[in-house]
Order: sequence, then C-alpha cells, then structure tokens
Amino acid sequence: MSVDNAAFRDFRESLERLGIDTPSEVISDEERVRRAKQTFMDKLDGRMAVDLTTCVHCGMCAEACHFYEATQDEKYAPVHKFEPLRRFYRRELSPMRWLFRPFTRDITAQDLETWQELVYDACTGCGRCDMMCPMGIRLSTLINVMRQGLASAGLVPAELQALQNEQRDSDTVFGVGAGKLREVIDRLGRQGIEIPLDKDQAEVLVLTTAVEVLLFSDALAATAKILNRLGADWTMLSQGFEAANIGLVSGDEVTQKRATAKIVEQAKACGARTVILPESGHAYQALRWEGANVLGEVLPFEVLAMSEFIAREIDAGRLKLKSPANGSSVTYHDPCRLGRHGGVIEQPRQVLKALGLDFREADSNGRENFCCGGGCGEYVIKRSAPLRQKAFEIKKREFDETGADTVITSCANCRINLMIGADNAGWQKPVESLVEKVAASLAE
Amino acid sequence: MTLLDFARGPALQWSLIILVFGVLWQLLGTILIGVKKDLSKPRRNTAVRDGLATIATRSLPEHQFEKKIRFQHFSGYAWHVALFIAVLFSAPHILFFESVLGFGWPHLPNGIILVTAAIALAILFALVIRRLSHPVQRLISNADDYISVIVVIVPLVTGMLASAHIGARYETLLAIHFLSVEALFVWFPFGKLMHTALTFPSRFRAGAAFGRRGVKA
Ligand code: SF4
Ligand code: SF4
Repeated sequence: MSVDNAAFRDFRESLERLGIDTPSEVISDEERVRRAKQTFMDKLDGRMAVDLTTCVHCGMCAEACHFYEATQDEKYAPVHKFEPLRRFYRRELSPMRWLFRPFTRDITAQDLETWQELVYDACTGCGRCDMMCPMGIRLSTLINVMRQGLASAGLVPAELQALQNEQRDSDTVFGVGAGKLREVIDRLGRQGIEIPLDKDQAEVLVLTTAVEVLLFSDALAATAKILNRLGADWTMLSQGFEAANIGLVSGDEVTQKRATAKIVEQAKACGARTVILPESGHAYQALRWEGANVLGEVLPFEVLAMSEFIAREIDAGRLKLKSPANGSSVTYHDPCRLGRHGGVIEQPRQVLKALGLDFREADSNGRENFCCGGGCGEYVIKRSAPLRQKAFEIKKREFDETGADTVITSCANCRINLMIGADNAGWQKPVESLVEKVAASLAE
Repeated sequence: MTLLDFARGPALQWSLIILVFGVLWQLLGTILIGVKKDLSKPRRNTAVRDGLATIATRSLPEHQFEKKIRFQHFSGYAWHVALFIAVLFSAPHILFFESVLGFGWPHLPNGIILVTAAIALAILFALVIRRLSHPVQRLISNADDYISVIVVIVPLVTGMLASAHIGARYETLLAIHFLSVEALFVWFPFGKLMHTALTFPSRFRAGAAFGRRGVKA
C-alpha cells in the first residue's frame, strides 16, 4: 500500500517539463476580449445574474478561501476573482445596463491577463466560499465562468493547456493510452489480480485515471480485488478508461464534452448499468453532475464514486471487512468535488467506521473542508507552487492537530498534491487511499 | 406648494413609482435571462426543504466559519435589527403607515427609538470605516457601496433630527427627512440595496442546488 518513490520522482520531474513547448495561439488583444465576452454572454444565466446583483461586498467570503487565509493578500478574496465578469454583466446584460454602461469600465485584454493568475493559480474551484456567503452566492460557479472566458481567450496556463490539447487531440492524459493500461493490467494479472478488459457486455464499467495508472496502480488493484470479491460482472475498456476531464478544469467546453462523450458512448456500447469512477473528485463532478448537462441528455446509467459504491455494498451486507490488526489512527481529507460539490461526505466516513479505524475528524471537514490547495488542475501550474505550499501548511496544521498517524483521501489528485506538499515540507505523515485501505481489509 | 407639500406629494409619488417599477424591471430582467434545466439525476428531491433550510442557516452563526466573521456577522445583524425597530416602531412612522394602510400598531417611546437609531448609525459608521480601512473591503468596494450607505445614513440622521426637533423648523426637518427617504427609494433598484429583494431567493436557490447533490448548504 505504498507509492513507488521512483515513479513519484519521475512524475514530479515530468510536471517540471509540462507545457514548456506548448505552442501558444497568437491572438490579438481585441480578439481575446471578444472571445471572453462571448463566453461570458453564453454562460451567464439567471441564477448567476441574481448572484451578481445580490453581492453586498461584505468581504466575508475571503475568510473561507485557503489562498487568502494562507497569505492575507486581499487580491485572493473570492469575490474579487470574478470582478471582470461583474463588470461585463453590468455593462452588457443587466436589465439596468442602459444606465450602468457609462459608469462601468469595459473589460480589457490586460484585465484578462491579470485575472489569469487569480482564477487559475489562486482558485481551485473548491466552493468553500459558496458555503460562507451570507447572500447564498455560488462564487465558484462565477469563477468557473471566468475560467471558461479565459480559456476561450487563449489564456489557459501553458501546463494545463498542454494537458488539455493532449486530451482533445489524442484522448490521453499524461501520455497514458491503452498500451500503458494493458501493461499495468498484465503486471497485476501476474500478481493474481484479474482485471477484465474489453468485455463486450458488462453490468459495471470501471474507469481509472492516468495518474492512477502511473502512480497509484495499487488503487486500481484494490478496486479489482473488491469487485472480484463481490463477484461483479465488470469490465474496463481500453478505448474508454480515462475518467479525468481536463476540459472541465481548464475551462474548455469542447474538450470537456469530448471526454465525457467518449465515456458515455463506451458505457452504452457495453450495456453498463453502473459506471464506477476511480478516486478522483473532478472526474466525479464531470460525469456525475455535469455529464448529462454538457451532452444535453439524461445518462442511461448510474454513476458512482468508488467510495460511494463501497459504502453501499458494506451497507447492503455484501462486502465484509475485518479490522486492521494494528488499529491505527486516521483522519480523512474530503476532496472538494467529491464532498462539497458532490455530496459524497458521509459515505467515506461510513467506510472508515466499518474498517474499525480510530477515525479523527480534522477541524475543517465535510462541507467545510479546506481544499488540498492543488485541485482543479492547479497542481500542474509551476509558478503557483509557492502559493500552494502556503495553502498546504493549513492542511498540515489541521492534520497534525488530529494526532492521526495517517491521512486518508479518495482522490488521486488531492493525494498527489498533499504528497508534493509533504515532500517539500519534509513532513512524514503518509497520505493513503480509501479504496486501498478497504482492499487490505477484505474479510476472508 | 411648500417644500413639505412637495416632499409628501409628487416627490413621494415619483420615488415610489421608480422604486416599484425599478425593482420589477430588475427582477423580471434577471429572471428572463433564464436557467437551463439540470439533467443530472438528483441525489434527493427535496429542493423546497433544502432551499428553505439555507434561507434559515445562512442567518445563523456557523461553526467553522463563525470564528473569522464574528464582527461582520453581528454588526450586520445589529444594524439591520436597529434600523427595522426605528422604522417600524416610531410613532410618527406608524401614523404615516396607518394613513396609507388603514391600520397601525403600538409604537415604542421616542427615547428608545432615538437610541436605536443612534445604534444603527454608529454601526453603519463603523462598517464604513472598516470598508475604508480593511484591505479586502477597500479593494472590492465601488461607488455603489458608498452611495448605498449614504442613502441609508441620511434618512437616519434626518429622522433623528426631526424627532428631536434640532437644527431647523420641524416642517423643514420633516421635508428633508421625506426627501432623504425618497432618495433611498430612487437609488434602491439600481444598487446593492436590491439585495433586500434578492437575498432569500438567492439563498433558496443555493440550498436547492447543493441539496440535490446531497449537500447541506
Ligand atoms: S461573502 Fe457574498 S456577499 Fe459578501 S462579498 Fe463575498 S460574494 Fe459578496
Ligand atoms: S472556490 Fe475555493 S479556491 Fe476558489 S475562491 Fe472560493 S474558496 Fe478560494
């Protein structure tokens, strides 16, 4: 149940090279502004219009954001991160635009460039500010529209752009294609862990992510052990295994839709009634909550996060666990897009309880949990590393306060980001996966 | 026509027309922008309950967040409550409401109303000072924030002066008080005072949206 240190080092090195030779599109300033505005116009809806009108500029949302908390720099106040969108709304869409227009400054290309840092480097879309605002404003959705506007204006940071281009053009992420998946499945097969690949028909389709294949194949093995123990009729598909959705995090709807469509097509083709997502918060948001909406159709299968699936099977009495011999103490980090945005909050706690572990809740948890600091693709952006490290200190402090031996989470990206933060800080606490813990405790 | 006649007559009528049509225009215009139907399968179908719960819970101190926002939270409460008491329970106001609505209600003694209005005023000043000095609030504030606070402060001050008969003839003070309230009515639909009409719908929709995902907002 460990991470191959050499693989982790290689991965960190590959992050250093990411985006270095990504060609940047040459776009004039006028065109950037035009595209951003068009996206704002397309994406703003009545709900957001209410939000933009209701804000009383109290500034309380700042206190929710880990980047403000870590730096006390006012520019990281969540409400400030969608300021250009607010101005756009007042000038171009508000029912009072005829009055506001002469008094509201137009968006400039310089604004868009300035806000790139605020919405990509300094916002993980975690939604903690959504829980704080006394007006009920969903700030993270407004900041996401900012991301979408910047993406259409060609202002995605180079590292994310590189990943987005890769997924858009070749359906892979971090270069992990069918060949690499097969290699891992063959290796696990030699260890006696069977992963059915490319079955024509199956009740359950299981997805994974490139980072799981590259770094956390133990989590994939654990998933297989659990499904095999349950005797499930399941498969993975070499042409539709990637659950990560770079379009969702970069703000590019074309890539988002393409990645979602690929999964949905494959799931339909094999007649899956359930699609199980790997430990990935944003993958859950992309398929479970946004999948139907980006495709404009109701999905003909249920979508479950692995932790949700395990909790359901334990609850139904189909999955039996034994308590680990040493009864170690653990705390749980809620991935934002699984917990606060996704509603998978109680399920992992039920699983930890069933495991009989000494579970210790951190000060911020569940719907109020602090983000790992690297979500929404942020951990690949090199220049934001110092900021992330400051945000990591909040997590480190809270984890330490619990006195738990181990941090458990259910998102490979949170895990990587926490591991990078720990590595930089020389912090020794292991960060482990929930599904691996479960697989290690399957009753005979 | 005296200043008071003007303030009580055409000025009041026009400011109310602007208030009502402005608010309707804002609400209708915002609603007409529309919201796409969410096609994802909800985790639970309790939108109304979740929406109402969020209306209530966003008014309550919350465990994790409360530590950092205590000042804003309670000062916000205190000045709203003080303002409502001063507006709704002062004897002359109740007489005015009675003449419009046809019914009235018991009033509070003038001294209490004056103290309450002074408290509201003091908190508002403290909030303005915070807005000018706190780095976050200074950065995010715009003209609307300052205009909105001025159009609330001036009626409070003129109301206190009128009820204490200080500074000018009572009729003049009353006329100025009326005009200052009318300025508030006129500004209302255009600025952040619109939150009065939108806070509950906004909270409701946040509660319903998170609720369908199974999250208490
Ligand atoms: S907490 Fe809400 S109302 Fe206050 S500034 Fe932030 S978004 Fe605006
Ligand atoms: S969504 Fe999270 S990271 Fe972004 S502004 Fe809000 S609290 Fe900060």
